[in-house]
Amino acid sequence: MREIIILLTAKILSYKNSSKQEDTKRLLRFAVFFTIGVLFWCGTFLIFFRVLSYFSSIEVIGSLLASKLLSMVFLTFFSLLIFSNVITALSNYFLSDDLQLLNSLPMSLGSLYTGRFIENIVNSSWTVLFFSFPVFLAYGLVYSASLFYYLTLIGVFIPFLLISAAMGTVLILILVYIFPARRLKDIILIASILLVMGVFLFIRFLQPERLVDPERFYLVMDYITDLKVPTSPLIPSQWATNALSPFLFGHPEDLQFFILLLWSTGLAFVVIGEWVFERIYYDAWSKAQEAKSAKLSRSKMVTRLLEALLKPFSSQIRAVVLKDIRTFLRDTNQWPQLFLIGALIIIYIYNFSVLPLEKSPMPTFYLQNLLSFINLGLASFVISALAVRFTFPSISLEGKSFWILKSSPLEVRRLVWSKFWVSFFCLVIPAEILIITTNVLMNATHFMIWLSAITIGCMTFGITSLGIGLGTYFPRFKVENVSQIATGFGGMMYMIAAVSFISLVVILEARPVYLFFMSKLRNLPLTGGELMEIFMLLFIALVLNILAFILPMKLGIKKLSSLEV
Amino acid sequence: MIQLIDLSKRFGNFIAVDSITLKVDPGEVFGFLGPNGAGKTTTIKMMAGLIKPTSGRIIINGWDLAEHPNRAKEVVGFIPDRPFLYEKLTALEFLRFIAGLYNLSSNGVEGRMHYLFKLFGLTDWQNELIESFSHGMKQRLVMASAFIHQPTVIIVDEPMVGLDPKGAKLVKEVFREFCNEGRTVFMSTHTLEIAEEVCDRIAIIQEGKIIAVGNMKELREKAGSEGKKLEPIFFKLTGGEEVKKVVEALRF
Repeated sequence: MREIIILLTAKILSYKNSSKQEDTKRLLRFAVFFTIGVLFWCGTFLIFFRVLSYFSSIEVIGSLLASKLLSMVFLTFFSLLIFSNVITALSNYFLSDDLQLLNSLPMSLGSLYTGRFIENIVNSSWTVLFFSFPVFLAYGLVYSASLFYYLTLIGVFIPFLLISAAMGTVLILILVYIFPARRLKDIILIASILLVMGVFLFIRFLQPERLVDPERFYLVMDYITDLKVPTSPLIPSQWATNALSPFLFGHPEDLQFFILLLWSTGLAFVVIGEWVFERIYYDAWSKAQEAKSAKLSRSKMVTRLLEALLKPFSSQIRAVVLKDIRTFLRDTNQWPQLFLIGALIIIYIYNFSVLPLEKSPMPTFYLQNLLSFINLGLASFVISALAVRFTFPSISLEGKSFWILKSSPLEVRRLVWSKFWVSFFCLVIPAEILIITTNVLMNATHFMIWLSAITIGCMTFGITSLGIGLGTYFPRFKVENVSQIATGFGGMMYMIAAVSFISLVVILEARPVYLFFMSKLRNLPLTGGELMEIFMLLFIALVLNILAFILPMKLGIKKLSSLEV
Repeated sequence: MIQLIDLSKRFGNFIAVDSITLKVDPGEVFGFLGPNGAGKTTTIKMMAGLIKPTSGRIIINGWDLAEHPNRAKEVVGFIPDRPFLYEKLTALEFLRFIAGLYNLSSNGVEGRMHYLFKLFGLTDWQNELIESFSHGMKQRLVMASAFIHQPTVIIVDEPMVGLDPKGAKLVKEVFREFCNEGRTVFMSTHTLEIAEEVCDRIAIIQEGKIIAVGNMKELREKAGSEGKKLEPIFFKLTGGEEVKKVVEALRF
């Protein structure tokens, strides 16, 4: 017990000490994250409250639907928790830097297991707990649950967390015992993202919008029958649903049985976890130390092609760009993000191809162009999402090797601008493909296609500049995982700035487009005043684009020039 | 070749380097010694252009680092104490990258790369990813990269960390040979034997201030030490009595 307390104290103290540093910045960061968290929390609550209120008003199937939704919520949380525990257990038991020290100390394996197990639960569960609370609160309020519901909820959640943490730990122990840990990290990352992407695409292609099609209502009896069948009686998420159902829907479930089932399974899993840990951890950890990092192919053809393409540039620019491309292609940590964005773009384009415009009561011409205009904003957001993942981290990706560039005769300005141009071309090509393809799919007018293509082209300068500039202004050279760069404070500031910039440009262009289409629709020429208004608004939009292009880059270059490493 | 004039660096209220003035001539291996936290790495980082001095000037080969940073950096080869490199590049790609940063033409540089790989015992590893290298091999690669552009000044922080005895011997010989050609090495180290063996002159820094500078004879005189070795001189100048107390304490 003493050893476990010492292990946990070290972590608590590290956290406490790191939170003492950079007070103002930390407070600001906390404020931004807190605000976003609260907004998200409130949003979740409102959505669930509305949906459940609607369900509660439907006779017969209302409570069935709410119960089914509850079991789905638990199943989702359960999957998330297991996955999250696999990742944290891999890091806490095999990859963490302090393990070299801990494993050389005369500490029992049981203490290491328990100490890190508690850490796993805290690290992997707090977000799920935080965001699940509004869901359960909405259930409690809509179905006027008593205090016992909330007490049972606590009694359900504790074993639920124990089960998922122990399952995640055992799973990772066995996997590392079979495969080397350093390779496994890549495999898990890629597999998980492919899984998420697969599920996402699967749901999208199922076309849930068909559910509101009245022609399908003849299936209602089959539907009710289906709702009554539990997801699976052997999954702990179903036991959790069954334990809470009596308080919400008055279902005659055996409350005590399911609570005891959850607790006995939870505690059994913890014990099984420790048993497995004590038997295979040392071998697995030792194997992980021997594992060499993955090697990737180095194609000569790709190298020659890249060198030929970069020939016109100076040797400094060529060196930096080649290095960046090689690193990107060989760093598997970046691939999952690329797959995810790829899936997002495919879904985006697919959605436009299935829009039932002809069924709308509004004139098709008007609707096509209205959607085309909305598409301009949405596509820009997609590009800014791409930029926050790949453009924003550009400078931070230099990592601890930044000393090489800083001590070389390469000017900071040249470095930052070379990163800008590479990112710009990597963003403007998908941006133009996205906007032109979707506009063509919607049969938008030539005017709208041109306007969208030019606007998004101009905005990409600003989006790239904001990404590179703010990424340079908030560099994070010491992160362990590249995905942390985009999710930090700087990434958040970038997204706020990019979204504001895109919204402003779209708002500024809305009125000129409206005036133009109204004149077309009425078959009347634009008046002098209207022309003046169009010119003024487009001019302001242009100035905004120029400012977004120049200012962030200047800011970033200034900051990086004075940065001490 | 190197001049530090009234150089200071503050981190908030803490003075890491306090008005130091030094001159290192061409052809010298100059040792920079001091206890932990004395200001050695801070001084070296300022000389490499990684951090900005609070006040004072750094002149390398006639170029003021603050006014002409790139001209000064062009003649310097910097070797840090911890070799953080681009792990996803091969050793050969890394040297090509460094050559690119120094605007070296591709004709002569390939031959020089192979010469440096051979010199530092990395020929068989040149096509391997850096992530598979040991600490010592990374250190050798950083050294090779520091020499790629034929600098006139080498600034090196703890050159022997992670090197095996063969590597350490090689580095000493390379530095000596480098200075015999009229060039300069500015080296910080904790290893007193190496400083004594390789350096023409030594400066000892403590609490940010230079407390002694000169060749072995001058240091001996300054410390009033009879011994021929650098160790007693160093302890006398930097507080050897404290070390004795620590040794006594460890006996219990």
